[in-house]
Amino acid sequence: MTTRTVVTVAAGLFLSAGTVLAQGVPTTPPRPTPLTPVRFPPFKQATLPNGLQLVVIEHHEQPVVSVSLAFRAGGIYDPAGREGLAELTAELLSKGTDGRSAEQIAALIEGVGGTLGASAGADFLTISADALSDQAGLVFELLGNVVLHSTFPESELELARTRALSALALQLSQPGAVAQRFFGTEIYGRNPYGRSPTRESYQAVTREDVAQFARQRLRPAGALLVVAGDVTEAQARELADKAFGSWRGSPQASPALPVPAAHTKTDILLVHRPGSAQANIVAGNTTILPTDPVYYPARVATQALGGGADARLFLILREQKSWTYGAYASLHRYRGLGYWQATAEVRTDVADSALRELLHQIDRMRTEAVPDSELVAAKGFLVGSFPLTIETPSQIAGQVANVKLLGLGDDYLRLYRERLSAVTALQARTAAARLYRRNALTIVVVGDGATLYDRLRAIAPVRLVDVDGKPLSPADLSPKAAPVALDPAQFAAHSDSSRVVIQGNPAGFTVSEVRRPVDSLVYAERSNLANGAFQQQTSLVLDPGDGSVRRVDQVTVQQGQKSETHLSYAAGRVKGSSAAPQPDGTVKRFDVDTALPPGTVDENAVPFVVPALPLTPGKSLTMSFFTPSENAVKVLTFKVGAPESVTVPAGSFQAYRIDVTGSRVPFTMYVSTDVPRRVLKTEFVGQPFVVELVK
Amino acid sequence: MRTGRMRVPPLVTGLLLLAAAPPAALPGQAGQISYEAFTLPNGLRVLYSEDHSTPIVSVDVWYNAGSRNERPSRSGFAHLFEHMMFEGSAHVKKGEHFQLISRAGGSENGSTAEDRTNYFETIPSNRLNLALWLEADRMRALAITDENFHNQRETVKEERRLRIDNQPYSAAFIDGMTWPFDSTGCFAYAHTVIGSMDDLNAAQLADVQAFFDTYYAPNNATLVVVGDFRPLELRRLVNQYFSEIPRHPDPAPVTCNAAVSPGTIRREVTDAHANLPAVVRIYRVPPHADPDTPPIELLNVILGQGESSRLNVAIVRRERAALGTQVAMNPFDSRRGPGVLLVLAIANQGLDPSRLDTLLAAQLDSIRTGSVTDEELTKAKNTFRANFIHNRETTLGKAEELHHYDMFHPSLAEINTDLERYLAVTAADVRRAATKYLDPANAVVIIVKPPAAGTAAEKGAQ
Repeated sequence: MTTRTVVTVAAGLFLSAGTVLAQGVPTTPPRPTPLTPVRFPPFKQATLPNGLQLVVIEHHEQPVVSVSLAFRAGGIYDPAGREGLAELTAELLSKGTDGRSAEQIAALIEGVGGTLGASAGADFLTISADALSDQAGLVFELLGNVVLHSTFPESELELARTRALSALALQLSQPGAVAQRFFGTEIYGRNPYGRSPTRESYQAVTREDVAQFARQRLRPAGALLVVAGDVTEAQARELADKAFGSWRGSPQASPALPVPAAHTKTDILLVHRPGSAQANIVAGNTTILPTDPVYYPARVATQALGGGADARLFLILREQKSWTYGAYASLHRYRGLGYWQATAEVRTDVADSALRELLHQIDRMRTEAVPDSELVAAKGFLVGSFPLTIETPSQIAGQVANVKLLGLGDDYLRLYRERLSAVTALQARTAAARLYRRNALTIVVVGDGATLYDRLRAIAPVRLVDVDGKPLSPADLSPKAAPVALDPAQFAAHSDSSRVVIQGNPAGFTVSEVRRPVDSLVYAERSNLANGAFQQQTSLVLDPGDGSVRRVDQVTVQQGQKSETHLSYAAGRVKGSSAAPQPDGTVKRFDVDTALPPGTVDENAVPFVVPALPLTPGKSLTMSFFTPSENAVKVLTFKVGAPESVTVPAGSFQAYRIDVTGSRVPFTMYVSTDVPRRVLKTEFVGQPFVVELVK
Repeated sequence: MRTGRMRVPPLVTGLLLLAAAPPAALPGQAGQISYEAFTLPNGLRVLYSEDHSTPIVSVDVWYNAGSRNERPSRSGFAHLFEHMMFEGSAHVKKGEHFQLISRAGGSENGSTAEDRTNYFETIPSNRLNLALWLEADRMRALAITDENFHNQRETVKEERRLRIDNQPYSAAFIDGMTWPFDSTGCFAYAHTVIGSMDDLNAAQLADVQAFFDTYYAPNNATLVVVGDFRPLELRRLVNQYFSEIPRHPDPAPVTCNAAVSPGTIRREVTDAHANLPAVVRIYRVPPHADPDTPPIELLNVILGQGESSRLNVAIVRRERAALGTQVAMNPFDSRRGPGVLLVLAIANQGLDPSRLDTLLAAQLDSIRTGSVTDEELTKAKNTFRANFIHNRETTLGKAEELHHYDMFHPSLAEINTDLERYLAVTAADVRRAATKYLDPANAVVIIVKPPAAGTAAEKGAQ
């Protein structure tokens, strides 16, 4: 711009000769050229005689038109226990009218390449349609038809309900969505802005609820119709009159909303999602009404804290620490009291560090003036990005609708950039100190409670719940064993010979046998390792009906030293004596008389029990076992993998891989899928030896 | 504003958002894009189109490099590179690219697909110089350091955890897209865009540098600029910033030998994060430039787009078998080689997924054995026509259209004539395409099952 001549000359040279002509590439970012002023596209407004507000935005660049009609009929108007009513009403609007079926309506609008859809947010129910502008007449006709003459067929409600329930199930499988649901309830309490639909509330909604909701809340007075695109004002006015002119009525007055929950301290709600690879953190509180002028400095402060990839949370948690894929802060406006939140999805093992850092940065925003560089960055983004949000007719329509619906005032869009530009560091700090209630902050963490509970307790008091919101105690986080029914089909008499291999070299053998004397069941095992240095014989008498252990007799000879174990199981106790040789040559002995949790099995029975478990790939089982050598009860977890091919000296088999944890040394067993299942191979984690089936 | 993202198909997360007159000729120049093209001596191809309706401009660079250019045991490089490109270059510090664009009020991002990697900024028009300078600086001299490499490798792993490992259905979907192709004949499309974490762990800094030298060269890139600028000024800036970047030898061509209909592949997977079973059916389709593409795209609309689509009407509404269905073709981007048509259905509660698959198969067969109606064909054409316009409403949309036609079509000029090709498709063309590509022998069928009931307690026990 400054050197017009250079521009022309350079371009001319380039075009004529194609020579490589460079003025030298600058080593610092080039300076901005003068700003082109942004003019918000003009729009026309009118109020129809029935009170319907009409806004028309003419935009003739492409032959498209979009129309949206918004009512004050969002989720906050759902009666308690009927959460989801506004949403179901929105969905049902286009699912049948007195002249058309749902399929006819869909075929009509989609047949011309258009779309028609409705949704309910917290404050508003909005139905919108778009199409190429040569179909504007059809768009208005359809909108008028579905809004005025919807019949809400019972069958369509059932379909919508089924879909809503399935969608809820899908949502509940997504940790970020789970975190947001809990966060809403925590910050708003009984105030309807915090409610979310549940299975029960969806199921409670009747056709009459929907019809009544539509009758009472979808009325022309106070509703907002925005038309944007390749239409003229006169054309839009005529189409609106034709579709909605004869319609009359005002929405029912709504009662004042209850005051949101009062928080007096910062605490953490930990939502236990077992096995979650990540922890989803949400922290924040309720804030202000949409017209509060503190919005502008608060917007700048929140932008600096977490408005994007150039903001503190992202730069620290992701770029500096690599703890997360993203971390953000945002301010949310409703017609009523809004909220702010900071969010991060982090690796489970760094969740506590990430939360500490997040809280530290919130503190800094409240107590330190935002440095100039960050203030310039935040304001530069907010002010500069405005023209990017008004590129298409439907974007412009969205901006205008937002102003009208939230009551932000006619000068809002005109003064938006100026007001943000004027925010000072002091104002931003004051706004943050007011809005971020650091001593009454709600923190929700969704993740694996077993890993997170103790770590988070060091930061703030923790309340623990499951994903349904049911309170849990820390003890609930440890695995709990329950009796597991064994499959008697696996109790068939058979004998297995296996070899023990240490680092690839044969080191011994073990022979096991299931015998079926009349009315009885016996599992016997005989092992010999290192040429007799270790010999063991075990005999278990089991209940032939359910496989539970009745009696254990075991003789072990290690380096010539003999020890014996004799135990009987009855009435929930195990009694007798046990002895186990120790590595130092001593023998550890116990007089055993121990109470057992229901379903407890002697640990020597593991090779008998595992093939008889209900093995389902992807499933895990937990059982308690009594370990005679330690006179202790342990909970073992068996994680079952999909069948895979396993080759041992006895041949190749399809086998379940079963990872066992909870014992002194975790181990993996491979069990053939054919009945009776057999243990093909056992590997011990971190140990050099493997047991393999020979025949 | 997320950065360095891999464009994950919206199928799974967007499922819930889903939502006849004959197609008329479009009024006047509607949807037409006027453009100019030139090439710098170093091989950088430049396309531009003026649009002064809003004072903004989009700068969009496509590198002719995607996951298809990766070698066995070196997968995931193209996507890792997309992350590296935001980590700094000769005159731009780590993180500064974001900062500069963001502080100007702009937005920027990048995405990786099989055939290309793109980087784009939309910015107030007085900062066109900034966007061009930033793109030039990283094309010339990306900061390939151990620290950046390590940091972004970790970020990619985190992205995988977040977007694939921790999301229901994603793993089946992302992996499943590669199963129609075998690694020997067509490694290009037989591995995922995000790549193998083992390969990334094994990667050395020298591998990364070699990938950059080969693929991030001006002669392997196209720059598109659309918006509020003056062409002379644009040419001056492009010449000043880009012309000294050296050319590199052209990369080796990519080959892919893949047969249509080699036999049905069936797999069953368990998804720990899924609450509902799902069925995914994947069919091989020809390269984008193939004459069969228009009828297949219309078939895609007829089967799966909108409430009135066959699958929605039959399976979601009438049978009440699925929470939703969706059909998508090449969800990351078009391909110069063979692609995929994906059909996804998430079962309603209590429905056996094999029953759902039977219903899906019956609908897919109905077009091969029956036909499409006039209404369906009209709808498909009108939908295509509306999309054709909507894709061209924004400066970035126009820039992507220019790239698309430049890379995937035999001639860029088709950008203004392609619609006619689609409007000329007949019902017989659609049926012929269905017969060829929806052949059961051409399908990969994946049944996705949630873990068995009572998982919460058991997962807690792991």
